[in-house]
Amino acid sequence: MKFNKLVLTLLAGSLFFVSCSDDDDNNAPSGAYDNGVLVLNQGNFNSGNASVSYISNAFAVENNIFSTNNQNLPLGDVGQSVGLEGNNAYIVVNNSNKIEVVNRYTFAPVATLSTGLTNPRYIAFENGKAYVTCWGDGTITTDDYIAIIDLATNTVSTTRIPVAEGPEKIIEEDGKLYVAHRGGYGFGNSVTVINTVNNVIVTTITVGGIPGSLEEENGTLYVLSEGYPSYAPAETAGSLTRINMANNTVISTTDFAGTTHPANLVIEDGALYYTVNNAIFKGGLINAVLPTTPLFTADIPSGTGLTAFDVEDNHIYIGSGSFSANGSVGVYSLTGALQQTLTVGIAPVGFYFND
Amino acid sequence: MTLKHFILPLLLLLCHTLVAQQDTIVQLKEVIISDTQLRDFSGTQSVQKLNDSVINRNTTSLTSLLQYNTVIYFKENGLGMVSSPSFRGTTAQQTAVIWNGININSQLNGQTDFNTLNTRDFSEISARAGGGSVIYGSSAIGGSIHLNNELAFDNKFTNELRGDYGSYNTLGLNYKVNASSEKFSSSVSVSRNSSDNDYKFPGYTIRNENGQYYNTSLNAAFAYKVNHRNILRLYSYLFDGERHFSRTLAAPSRSLYDDNNTRNLLEWTGLYSRFTSRLKMAYLQENYKYFENFANDVFTFGQVKTFIGRYDATYDFTSKLKLNAIIDYTQNKGEGSDISNKKRNIGSGSLLLKHALTGRFKYELGVRQEISDAYSSPVLFSAGANVGVAKFYTLKFNASRNFRMPTFNDLYWQGSGNPDLKPESSCQAEVGNVFTHNGITLTVTGYYIKLRDMLRWIPGNNGIWSPENVGKVTTYGIESVLNYEKKFGYSHITIGGTYAYTVSQEDGSSNQLMYVPLHKATAAIAYGYKNASVYYRHLFTGEVFYTTDSSAGIDPFNVSSAGAEYTFKLLDGCSIGAQVNNLYNTEYLNVASRPMPGRNYNMYLNLKF
Repeated sequence: MKFNKLVLTLLAGSLFFVSCSDDDDNNAPSGAYDNGVLVLNQGNFNSGNASVSYISNAFAVENNIFSTNNQNLPLGDVGQSVGLEGNNAYIVVNNSNKIEVVNRYTFAPVATLSTGLTNPRYIAFENGKAYVTCWGDGTITTDDYIAIIDLATNTVSTTRIPVAEGPEKIIEEDGKLYVAHRGGYGFGNSVTVINTVNNVIVTTITVGGIPGSLEEENGTLYVLSEGYPSYAPAETAGSLTRINMANNTVISTTDFAGTTHPANLVIEDGALYYTVNNAIFKGGLINAVLPTTPLFTADIPSGTGLTAFDVEDNHIYIGSGSFSANGSVGVYSLTGALQQTLTVGIAPVGFYFND
Repeated sequence: MTLKHFILPLLLLLCHTLVAQQDTIVQLKEVIISDTQLRDFSGTQSVQKLNDSVINRNTTSLTSLLQYNTVIYFKENGLGMVSSPSFRGTTAQQTAVIWNGININSQLNGQTDFNTLNTRDFSEISARAGGGSVIYGSSAIGGSIHLNNELAFDNKFTNELRGDYGSYNTLGLNYKVNASSEKFSSSVSVSRNSSDNDYKFPGYTIRNENGQYYNTSLNAAFAYKVNHRNILRLYSYLFDGERHFSRTLAAPSRSLYDDNNTRNLLEWTGLYSRFTSRLKMAYLQENYKYFENFANDVFTFGQVKTFIGRYDATYDFTSKLKLNAIIDYTQNKGEGSDISNKKRNIGSGSLLLKHALTGRFKYELGVRQEISDAYSSPVLFSAGANVGVAKFYTLKFNASRNFRMPTFNDLYWQGSGNPDLKPESSCQAEVGNVFTHNGITLTVTGYYIKLRDMLRWIPGNNGIWSPENVGKVTTYGIESVLNYEKKFGYSHITIGGTYAYTVSQEDGSSNQLMYVPLHKATAAIAYGYKNASVYYRHLFTGEVFYTTDSSAGIDPFNVSSAGAEYTFKLLDGCSIGAQVNNLYNTEYLNVASRPMPGRNYNMYLNLKF
């Protein structure tokens, strides 16, 4: 009967559609990732599609290098940051509550650290240990901590250093940890200094609202605060705070104009770079006066945003994207001439120079 | 009521059937419904009605019912989790859910979570394809889903008790009572569902941790005939659910989500010869609480209280010419931890006309204007015709303009909401062909939708994401629905199938919209012999992309289930049934990183007394 045929045709057709679906590309991984830059791609929250891309010094791109070198396992959910130490890359995966440890040059798997890390954010290293800022539960303001990892055994210590709400960027200098409290879901305005010898908080330094970036140069800590956002109880402009690391005192604080919200502080070759929306600014380290005109404005397609920024040697790297499509990396000269536009994974969030 | 009367419908209606629109006035005196426009002003579009025997063969989830029996595609975040539809390639906010004539899409996010409605609470569930904003307001672009409760003054007292038990400690209980006299009619349904929902992810060593849920719902409908001209009715629906949000392949979860929704509708119907007057008042409340960690009592919440006052007047000039005017006032009051406290007022007026020019040619016209203090709305219209070309062939045309209003989250999200948004609006047209011959009904509908001012959250200054009216989307496709039914001797066979071909692209892009499959098909076959029946059903979903650039997709899948039922002559009928879901143990996902369960089982006992 005809209707039987129709149903069977539909069924047979559906099998055909399944069988003719494309297999993913079978490009073998190169397994060679030195002399280039690793790009961490955040991926979309709860889609489990964080990834790492590699850009060689000749600007050849290899995407998804974690999976291709790890039996096609996904990296995880929400790539947050990467720490490079020794031969290893420590990839902090926020929503997966884990750190993937791989060989930084081959991406061969070393270890997966998946206990004791609740909402891990950033990582710093000192004397055989790694220190990871962790929010704990995002909605709880009193459970934030620094996790400690023994690098020799790749284990997360049960000892934690409790800190104030929303610890974010962390750097190590001269045996001390400097932790910027961006504030998590709230609004932070401090930097905590921790002695790694005894894990004791040395002091807490008040800075401008929403300290988003930390850099160290010649004994001075540069803290770029974004300023309280428009949805905070009172919006403020960003500010740049210089701190003398010898005595943890503030040398100077420079406020931005109006309600300017700067981000992405980078210090490279004696100059200071930051971004305001898609504009890139360059200033002097000593000069207390902030530049008023941008070095250049990055060409970011509408519907996407600037998601990553860094400067290394003769290049400025700018990542952009949304959370629902592959992102883009623009490589610029130090004067802002676009040299390369490269396609990477979803929402590139950080550059890690792997030399 | 003899046993035969119960068994027959069960055997007759194993699969869904397309039901022709029936004459209104005769119908009104026997069974009364509140959503009269579904009956009276849907004759130029395709309405697929799922009756209670189809509902009974499905799990209690509205997602599963519609996914297996209609052309609608569902994006389900793992079994029992948040589930949203794509009807004709549109977004979740572009499908309206209508409960007894009232639009119940969330005011907060503009969509309905199809796993927060229990199918057994409704006597009739219909999928009305295509534009319906002239009647139902916001969101009826892809189509609308109608959840109705029929009431009759027929001197009956029936009870039905059903218990389900299945894999992952999934429990379902439903009790229904219908009691009526010549003056009074009532229909009450209570459901309770719970599951550990800790299925193993097929092909992985991990389980669906933190996926447990329970929910309780009550749906009650009462009618009182004051005299032969006046009827009072009250409908109430309460849903209270607590779901843990399960882990993904890549991330553990500790989150928990509470839904608490109440909907109440009071209606006074006056029947005055050619004139029918309906005064309706509705009060709806939606409430959610989200816990990032179920172990802590720290949560975010949102709540909207909605009051609706509506006057609906119908005048039948002749049995062939009907005019319906509706004026509506809606007030929404929203508050929450992430939205500003806001009150929103919406007024609207609609005029609907139906005219059967000849026995073979009918047309319907509609126009609606909304006025709101929160957004400006376009004039909406609908025009359609139904032509009986031949005894076996009916042709339908419909064109309409529809809209989707910005939600409370879009307008008032703290720090991100954009109070200057326009509604999304669509212009669309469809041509439907209905062939009926020898127990076969085949509907083939081609449609085209042009949507503008699509709302999308995009990054703006200082990295703050906010919604903008940025996108234009063109969607077109073909959907077909097939039904066949045949009885011979003690045997009864029914076959049903659907197929949808959907192209949905943003202007300037050749990429398919995210989570819209190009192909989707379903097939169901059932065979009954005396008191026994067996059935088999199949779902095919084509590849979907979860990125806008089509760079990452979810594989197509085929999944099947089978079941059997036997009815004993005990009380007014006692049925036992068993079902195997995902018969071939297919590894499949609906949403990236969220595997669906492998083969699993369910059994049930249904007592009528």
